[in-house]
Amino acid sequence: MNEAHQSSGAPERDLQPPERCEDERVMHLERGQLVTETSRPVPRAALGARAVAALWALRVFVVLVSLMVIYTFVDQLR
Amino acid sequence: MTLTPSELPLTAEDSTRSRDRSRVDRARGHSRRWLLLWLLAGPGILAMLGENDGPSMIAYAADGAQYGLGFFVPLIPVLFAMAFICQEMCMRVGAVTHRGYGGLVLQRYGQAWGWFGAADLALTNLVTLVAEFVSIRVGLAYFQLGSGVAVALGLALVAVTLSGGRYWRWERIVIGLALFNSLFLVAAILVKPHAGAVVRSLAFVPFPGGSFNTLLLLLASTVGATVTPWMIFFQQGASADKGMTGRDVKHGRYDTAAGAVLAAVFGIGALIAGAALLTHNGSGIGGFTGAGFPAALRHVAGSAAGTVFALGLIEAGAVAILTICASTAYAAGECAGVSHSFNSSPRNAAVFYAANIGIAVLAAVVILIPGAPLLSIALNANVLATVLLPVSLVFMVMLANDKALMGPWANKRSTNAIGITVITFVGLCGAAYGIDSFLQQTHLIS
Repeated sequence: MNEAHQSSGAPERDLQPPERCEDERVMHLERGQLVTETSRPVPRAALGARAVAALWALRVFVVLVSLMVIYTFVDQLR
Repeated sequence: MTLTPSELPLTAEDSTRSRDRSRVDRARGHSRRWLLLWLLAGPGILAMLGENDGPSMIAYAADGAQYGLGFFVPLIPVLFAMAFICQEMCMRVGAVTHRGYGGLVLQRYGQAWGWFGAADLALTNLVTLVAEFVSIRVGLAYFQLGSGVAVALGLALVAVTLSGGRYWRWERIVIGLALFNSLFLVAAILVKPHAGAVVRSLAFVPFPGGSFNTLLLLLASTVGATVTPWMIFFQQGASADKGMTGRDVKHGRYDTAAGAVLAAVFGIGALIAGAALLTHNGSGIGGFTGAGFPAALRHVAGSAAGTVFALGLIEAGAVAILTICASTAYAAGECAGVSHSFNSSPRNAAVFYAANIGIAVLAAVVILIPGAPLLSIALNANVLATVLLPVSLVFMVMLANDKALMGPWANKRSTNAIGITVITFVGLCGAAYGIDSFLQQTHLIS
């Protein structure tokens, strides 16, 4: 999970640190709240291979258990 | 520094949000603490009371009817403490990043994870919405009203609350409705529980007996009654839509904590009301599938208790329809990358408004299908939500840990430890029920 923190590289510089946003206000909004700002996508985080593998394992497990629940539900109806 | 509107392009959505924020700034400037709390309350209370929905209250009442007060009375506050941990993270991420959960996962971790999350949400929301309409129908059936009225009432509520083009208005209407969740507390008082038994039940008793699979179903549905995928999408999206910022995180915590306490108290109310059926030959579960919990309660505790419980089910279903539809709309707008705010007009946020009302219409159509297994859907909706929840929670913890996004508001180690414990517990509950039921159904175990 912590590998999510190792996001970045160059694109990360585009992110506004929250403290800096506090300084710039448009009317009663922080600059980062404006629609023009929130429409800009945040940079992609770089996940490590182990983090990606763990996420996929969890995803597959959850789908399998969901299928079991749905099968049981449908079978009980018959 | 303060920039003038002419220096940046301001949309109508910005102007509306700025107007709401001006009141927050004034309250903060004049140190009016209670007014500030009133202005900033909303997403937390709505997420928690929205989750005290029809299937959840039925699950609590079923717990009480089948097992009595012991075990589940102390379990409900523990589960809402878990919900607070998850929802506080959602509020914090929404307030600091000003973005919803779906859009942030999609942009930060890739399209696949974003769309997986949205698909999970769409499935669980549709099933849960069907269950909410069922809950309204069960409540209305007590007053001899049918499915058509339930559908009309649910859809009319969605349409009315969507008119106005302002988040603040939507939020206040739904909070007003959500406070009627206290009807379950009134129902608990009306069944005249033995005070000593309620107090004694607060001491954690051993696991209750009975069929292991039934117990797992009740446990999974009780967990699913406190934390679900839609709450994550909803509270983060609503916190951003409300215009909360990092400065509001403390009040966001008060809001979330107040919601958790109210939801736990009202949930225990439903449990106590359901427990009144325990000593009457288990007429609780049978009563629900037959004439319904309200009618069973009327038989056991008088018509006032039955009427209040029926009204409570109508309220619980109605509020959940509004919050769940909103979570669907936030997710649809965020994933499609288009405007997704109650502060936008339907013309400017067509996807948001269409998803909001579209999923309600879809669920309404399902409950009008003759012979559809509505009660089974209602009882299984929470279980499916519990099974699919761990993935959403993992991404939530990842976002709350992301220092590039969260800066000084990122998770502390202690929050992570509790968060991971919650994910593990939820995952185990859902998986244990899913696997055990499947093995029994396929006769691989007896």
